[in-house]
Amino acid sequence: MSFFKKSADMLGDKLNEKLAQDLDESAVLNDEALAFSFAEFHPEAAERGGYSNYSYWRATLRAFFRNKTAVFFLCLMAVTLLFTFVQPLLPGQKDPLEVHYGEWGLPLNNVPPNGEFWFGTNSIGQDLWSRIWAGTRTSLFIGFSVAVVEAVLGILAGVLWGYVRKLDFFFTELYNVLDNIPQTLLLILISYIMRPGVSTIIFALSLTGWLGMARFIRNQIIIIRDRDYNLASRCLGVPTRRVIFRNLLPYLVSVITMRMALAIPGAIGSEVFVTYIGIGLPVSIPSLGNLIQTGRSLMQMAVLRYQLIFPVAVLAVITISFYIIGNSFADAADPKNHVN
Amino acid sequence: MAKYILKRVLRASVTLFIIITILFSLLRLMPIEGYFDNFDKVSSTEIQVKLNSLGLNDPLPKQLGRFYNQLLHGDLGTSNIYRRGVSINTIIAEKIPISVKFGLISFALSLVMGLALGIWMAYSTRTRFKIGDRLGTVLIVVVQAVPAAVYHIVIQFVGSQYAGIPMLFDEARPISYLLPILSLSIGNTAYYAMWLRRYMVDEANKDYVLLARAKGVPSGAISRRHIFRNAMVPLVQYIPGSILSTLMGSLYVESLYSIPGMGGLLVTAIKRQDNTLVQALVLIYAVVSILGLLFGDIMMAVVDPRISLAKKEGSR
Amino acid sequence: MRICNRVLSLLLCLAMVLSLGCAAYADGEGSVYRTLYSSEVDTLNYLETTQAVTTSLTFNLIDCLVEYDCYGNVEPALAESWEPNEDASVWTFQLRQGVKWVDKDGSEVADVTANDWVAAAHYICDAANDSSCYSVLRDNIAGASAYYDYTAYQLALPNAKDGTDEEGNPAKVIVNEDGEEEVLVEAPEASLDDIGVKALDDYTLEFTLTGSKAYFVSLLSHGAFMPVYEPFLEECGDQFGTSNEYLLYNGAYILSSFKPQQEHVLTKNAAYWEPECVYIDEVRETYNAEASSIAATMYMNGELDAATVSSDLLTAMMADPETADQIHSSRPSTSYAYWYLFNFDANFDEDYEPENWTLAVNNENFRQSIVHAFQRIPALAAHDPLNPTATLSNTITPSNFAMNEGKDYTSYEGLAAYTAEGFDYYDPDLAVEYKDKAVEELTAAGATFPVKVLMCYNPSSSNMANECQVVEQQIENVLGTDYIDIIVEAGPSDGFLAAVRRSGNYAFMNCNWGADYADPETWTDPFVPDSSYSFIYTSTDPETKALYDEYCALVDEAKAITTDIDARYAAFAKAEAFLLDHAFAVPLHTNEISYSMSKLNVFEGQYAMVDTVTYRYKDQHLMDKSMSIDEYNAAYEEWAAHAN
Repeated sequence: MSFFKKSADMLGDKLNEKLAQDLDESAVLNDEALAFSFAEFHPEAAERGGYSNYSYWRATLRAFFRNKTAVFFLCLMAVTLLFTFVQPLLPGQKDPLEVHYGEWGLPLNNVPPNGEFWFGTNSIGQDLWSRIWAGTRTSLFIGFSVAVVEAVLGILAGVLWGYVRKLDFFFTELYNVLDNIPQTLLLILISYIMRPGVSTIIFALSLTGWLGMARFIRNQIIIIRDRDYNLASRCLGVPTRRVIFRNLLPYLVSVITMRMALAIPGAIGSEVFVTYIGIGLPVSIPSLGNLIQTGRSLMQMAVLRYQLIFPVAVLAVITISFYIIGNSFADAADPKNHVN
Repeated sequence: MAKYILKRVLRASVTLFIIITILFSLLRLMPIEGYFDNFDKVSSTEIQVKLNSLGLNDPLPKQLGRFYNQLLHGDLGTSNIYRRGVSINTIIAEKIPISVKFGLISFALSLVMGLALGIWMAYSTRTRFKIGDRLGTVLIVVVQAVPAAVYHIVIQFVGSQYAGIPMLFDEARPISYLLPILSLSIGNTAYYAMWLRRYMVDEANKDYVLLARAKGVPSGAISRRHIFRNAMVPLVQYIPGSILSTLMGSLYVESLYSIPGMGGLLVTAIKRQDNTLVQALVLIYAVVSILGLLFGDIMMAVVDPRISLAKKEGSR
Repeated sequence: MRICNRVLSLLLCLAMVLSLGCAAYADGEGSVYRTLYSSEVDTLNYLETTQAVTTSLTFNLIDCLVEYDCYGNVEPALAESWEPNEDASVWTFQLRQGVKWVDKDGSEVADVTANDWVAAAHYICDAANDSSCYSVLRDNIAGASAYYDYTAYQLALPNAKDGTDEEGNPAKVIVNEDGEEEVLVEAPEASLDDIGVKALDDYTLEFTLTGSKAYFVSLLSHGAFMPVYEPFLEECGDQFGTSNEYLLYNGAYILSSFKPQQEHVLTKNAAYWEPECVYIDEVRETYNAEASSIAATMYMNGELDAATVSSDLLTAMMADPETADQIHSSRPSTSYAYWYLFNFDANFDEDYEPENWTLAVNNENFRQSIVHAFQRIPALAAHDPLNPTATLSNTITPSNFAMNEGKDYTSYEGLAAYTAEGFDYYDPDLAVEYKDKAVEELTAAGATFPVKVLMCYNPSSSNMANECQVVEQQIENVLGTDYIDIIVEAGPSDGFLAAVRRSGNYAFMNCNWGADYADPETWTDPFVPDSSYSFIYTSTDPETKALYDEYCALVDEAKAITTDIDARYAAFAKAEAFLLDHAFAVPLHTNEISYSMSKLNVFEGQYAMVDTVTYRYKDQHLMDKSMSIDEYNAAYEEWAAHAN
């Protein structure tokens, strides 16, 4: 014990010496005239610790904001999100469900984009512009809700699954069970019981959506759980929770952010998929999923392609923004990239 | 290791049992209307007769018992609705080879192209204009941003309208393989490239790379021997699963090109409420995905000796 | 970058191989009709299924006793002549001789004889075979239900246990799907000989019916009246109809290739009894789950001879000069009718105020206000933007459905007012008048406004979804949202009928019914007590009850008239008009018309009230080009002149 104390003292002394040297060197740079002169002993200076104003998150943000493309997409996404919610409040906006009629009492269907209908109208004469924004609202709501569940449940379960070996059995089998009950079946049953709607979709997608995230995190954790520094922590008796939050998760920040950035567009993609197999949202609740599905069948006619292109473009802007932001943030989150 | 695998396999069989039991209970919740062609005009006697003939009137344990008894004889049962009266073994035996063929070709293609692209991208992050990284990012972003349902149909249209390739798959015309395989591999190519780039960039910043560089190891060797190998570890976990899952087929691509494979079979069976077919497919898919996870873990441990799956001293 | 090079050379090799293969391919052209289909048949067993996908195939493979010409006149097919007894309850058919059963390669197996119909009836009436065709025999053939019930009882017996019925007497009970015990009603013993389908000799067939049915011949184009060769059926057992090998053919075509989820090839049957009427040599149907997304393009590429055009593509394709002169509609048909019905047994969520709805729906003025506020043309435009009035129907029984000596059923007294030129339910002023009366009466009765009106639709049909959105907006505009609040909601796409219509989980909704036979009686079924439509019979309101009793009396009166067709039609027309006068339904349309580009002439094919015969390729020619709308209209005029 005494040996340890002694060496710790020695270490302290050494540090002080080094600090003093550093101070000296800076002094040299400041004043050449005082080159190589001996410094006097300052008790206050000796007390100064190895303080640095480095903050992980601030550095991450600084690194992130240095990336012009990422900042551009961040602004683009912010504007899109804001606009999605502000749009219905703007003057001159149409109701997404209202059918518009022409002079002859017949619906103004499949009107190509013009001054009146900015994105044209659909096959029964509803305004595509307002439908797309209403759809974006619905889809983003679904996307965010599902992504939040995915993040919370997925990371929690993934970390426990990967790190705590006693739980490996439980989680592996839980994963196998949940992953193999077909989502289609659940969705059909849920919408049979709860009626098709936004909450049904969120519920059904969340039910199994977190599994992929959990498996992903678990694989990452398994890779690093037996590395020396974790072994060291364990030997020193650090509690599991602390190992997870201090050793493991910070290490994974970059991959987790990237995965999260893809979770929202991913959830929207799942919504498109369930609409494709015919159990998605009904068309009276516009969403990007059913707008795209409707647009797909109109691909055959070049003049109608606007009904596919507009919703896909909006979805693409959202997805690309999330992807670029996620990727840049992941780069920025790596402390190695903070140096330069 | 062997002990660990044995344990996992034993546990998996318990899991399979749980999956099948849950599935049976869920299937019984399905609306009975779905079992009839013309529910409007049937009497209650007819409803009883139908439920009886589908075996749905029996208690759950009896239904389960019947299913397992069949399985023991290597028989997956007979389809009730989808192809009434035809043995499921026959149905699946016709479809699996087609899906596996398409799946494996496109898997190999996407692995090769994805890894090549990922390496090129990671490599070019260190060059001045990052051309490779930029180009690759554009591809990845497009594939990510446009839903699969849309880019598949766009590929089909562009391919058939401008390149004159037939719209539908036809076994006799090899050129008709081109578009479906392209469609199938493009998504995975982007996926592999994206993650490989991410892991390689992360890896390249590590101290041992710095050390190797300082020692004067040529940068090609560093990339190949150190960065690439370490970056592959997390990807390796998914490879056995991807290979096995080719026998599930692809719903979008197979429906667009009239490929008579497994894609969409499960979805159709569920929607048509062909319970015996659903049970058989879920069982097969469950086995496949459980094995995929297990093989993935083994591969991961093989590639990276630091990973151990079995319990070690001092572990939790 | 060595890997890259290898990949490149690999790709090059691949491309070369592919292009070689391409050059080796050449396709031949005969009289082949190529089309896409998007849902596969479950089975080819025509004695078991009634699904349109199967019948559209099997009606080309198996012939029935009678067939139709293109104007809807009955013609002899496998029966050469037939004759009913005086009260039309026993029918005797003389069969055509020398018609052959052939297998999938066209080799002759046996002669078609009267026993083939007997065997089919025996198969269908056996509950163990669980046939969907049974309901037709149940309603029409004497002894069918007795035998079915007996076999059903025998099937259920092994699962039954001893218990007691409500009065405590010992009885067999079974546990039903809800886990409750249910008494198993004992069925008296019955034998196959009791079924009213008999072979008097090899070529004479006799049907004994459950009652007098003058329209019996119109029933014969149903799968339940198709023949089957008994020794073959027995030989196949469970495998019958599972593939083209396990089926024998006597129709115009043989199913020479049956690859599920891939293709069906129908080849002309060389041994057919009337080969001169089969003009198309081969029909090649290719499976594609996304047929609706790609068919039009493939047609324009010349890869197909027919492509359906969905209603959302229609206006755009009509505007495009390249496609406009190729599109025409399908021939109108009246086997289905769609009406908006009021639900008198409100069984929905408290949020939608079922009690308030029950008060409102039992008030005739309230119903009248909705009926007269309903503008049907915009609703129909959701189905057919080109010609929304084509399918418009003003009565519960569609016009052109039943005729008596040249007089259409819907022009009988009572209904004549509804089918008169220029009639429309839509009358906003009248609607508002009724509204004012209804507001007064309902306020006194304690109802609150706006009345919530739950309108459900099946999300698997995008046309229905669109229609509901149009209807909601249109009716609310006329009557005002302070009076009614229509709430459009999607039901489940699977099990929609059970979850919504049958359980009364709606207030006002589009419902449909398909005719079973060519007589107005078939259209009263949805309104009789115990039907799963509208539930008027459950109403406890004295006013509604009185009206409904009167309606039932009128229907019973009409059903009692069996021989005098004129009097029978007049009586049914009176009953139907009574329903319409008291605003129990808003008739909307008949079978939806579809648009397509197709090289078949729609007017050449067989025509009848039952859709099944229209699937036949027999009598049809393959043309060089698809008809345009104008050509179609001209052909329609000509056809309609002949048909009536």
